[in-house]
Amino acid sequence: MEQVWYTAAAWMGLALLASLISIRLGISVALVEIFLGLVAGNLGTYFGSAIFQPNAWINFLAGFASVVLTFLAGAEIEPEAFRRQLKPTLAIGILSFLLPFLGAGAYAYWVSGWTWQGAQIAGIALSTTSMAVVYAVMVETGLNETELGKLILAACFITDLGTVLALGLIFANYDYWLLIFTLVTAVVLWRLPAATRWMLARWGGRVSEPEIKFIFLILCALGGLAVTARSEAVLPAYLFGMVVAGLFVHNKVLIFRMRSITFALLTPFFFIKAGTLISLSALLASLGLLMVLFGVKMITKVIGVWPMCRIFRMPLRESNYTTLMMATGLTFGSISALFGYNYGYINQAQYSVLVTVVIASAVIPTIIAQVFFQPREVGPLGEAELGYVGTAEHFLHSADE
Amino acid sequence: MFRKILLAYDGSEGANRALEVGIGLAEIHGAELWALAVQEKLPRFSGTINEVKEEKQFADEQYGKLLEAAKVKAKEAGGELKTLMRPGHPAQTIVAVAKQGKFDLVLVGHTGLSGVWAAFLGTTAEKVSRHAPCSVLIVR
Repeated sequence: MEQVWYTAAAWMGLALLASLISIRLGISVALVEIFLGLVAGNLGTYFGSAIFQPNAWINFLAGFASVVLTFLAGAEIEPEAFRRQLKPTLAIGILSFLLPFLGAGAYAYWVSGWTWQGAQIAGIALSTTSMAVVYAVMVETGLNETELGKLILAACFITDLGTVLALGLIFANYDYWLLIFTLVTAVVLWRLPAATRWMLARWGGRVSEPEIKFIFLILCALGGLAVTARSEAVLPAYLFGMVVAGLFVHNKVLIFRMRSITFALLTPFFFIKAGTLISLSALLASLGLLMVLFGVKMITKVIGVWPMCRIFRMPLRESNYTTLMMATGLTFGSISALFGYNYGYINQAQYSVLVTVVIASAVIPTIIAQVFFQPREVGPLGEAELGYVGTAEHFLHSADE
Repeated sequence: MFRKILLAYDGSEGANRALEVGIGLAEIHGAELWALAVQEKLPRFSGTINEVKEEKQFADEQYGKLLEAAKVKAKEAGGELKTLMRPGHPAQTIVAVAKQGKFDLVLVGHTGLSGVWAAFLGTTAEKVSRHAPCSVLIVR
């Protein structure tokens, strides 16, 4: 019988190791967690140990992590930047989702012989883009502060919205439960900005964290309703994040606290679980398919994004850069693949291929963009602002002001 | 002879020796002295934007403290130090800033914080001396 504390210790030990490696190497903790999960899961299988096999409570934590991650991603949108460049953002974002979704889905169904639903999962997982990967690259060049950077991030946001809509609607049962879910979600989302604002103003900043519990309550309740309708909990989470994004911009303490909970307790279980489910033997047996699906993702992203960039008169170098950025993927791709595996739409071999392609798309386009198309300027040579030097505690207090 | 000097500063022993040399050179030549701290090891291929933001903020605090201390040192020695902070690969960023800012001398410590990798890949000082657009003084 499983001794829950040993299992928890093993998973948290892996999470701690991932943090230390991530800090040392400067690679994201998510990627290191997936990699360590892969190693631990496959070694566990080889030696007959079940300690790194996801069980009910790990599945719950991983599922909750994906919902909170999606909520936080939804809350990242800068409404002002989005409104300023509405047309190019929508055009690039929608095509960046649509073409890879259709292309990868078609290839998986007609050429690889996946089931219809499996092919849809392949399409969704490979249509994603990663705002986080893009943001990390752009921070290095200061591009995230420019109009081009904001356009790319907003377009990523639209692509991700396509992903969660597809996940939430394609596999749903079109019955009265979906109708109830849609109506309740619409009403709740309509009232949520005001309710959240009131909650933050009236109860925010207390040690018992009522505002975070309020957010979790909404996420769980809407997630429950979504799953009852055979939709997906990440859909209302993303929409919830979107409607309260404006409030989050001004409430750094709340974001800071949510990040702490998410990174310490939730995301390790999601990313390590995503890694443990990758079968190395299945992966080796499917290397050809892996490379082809990666190629399909890249080609369809290029066909979808690059012409749009040129139509909106983006210079060649920036068009190439934007296209490569929109071809990245990580978190939403992993969430989509894991969704497909959890519901039995894809098997472990297909899951392994999809997640690996997603990871490859986090790394390869990024490196190409940085080496060949990175803007040469390093930002204005203004003096560094040293005024914010201080501890996390200092940050918390200053954010309150 | 030198009007604008760029000091690559990571708070290491080598960088502090380069700072002392820089203060002296700036005084002799009547030059501007700038210290550049490059924030390396921000998380690449990140899973969440929050991870990047928080690590960036942490790096801002850490490197901010280093630059503040360097400024104080320069002031105590009777000089003035201007500071810059940039995320990125150390050697590439130093070279790019030297080009963009039209610096005519780059100062680097012989040994910085590159650690074990430097033994295989070369130190930041070596790379900067190979690619910089201006004179490079490696301080031992």
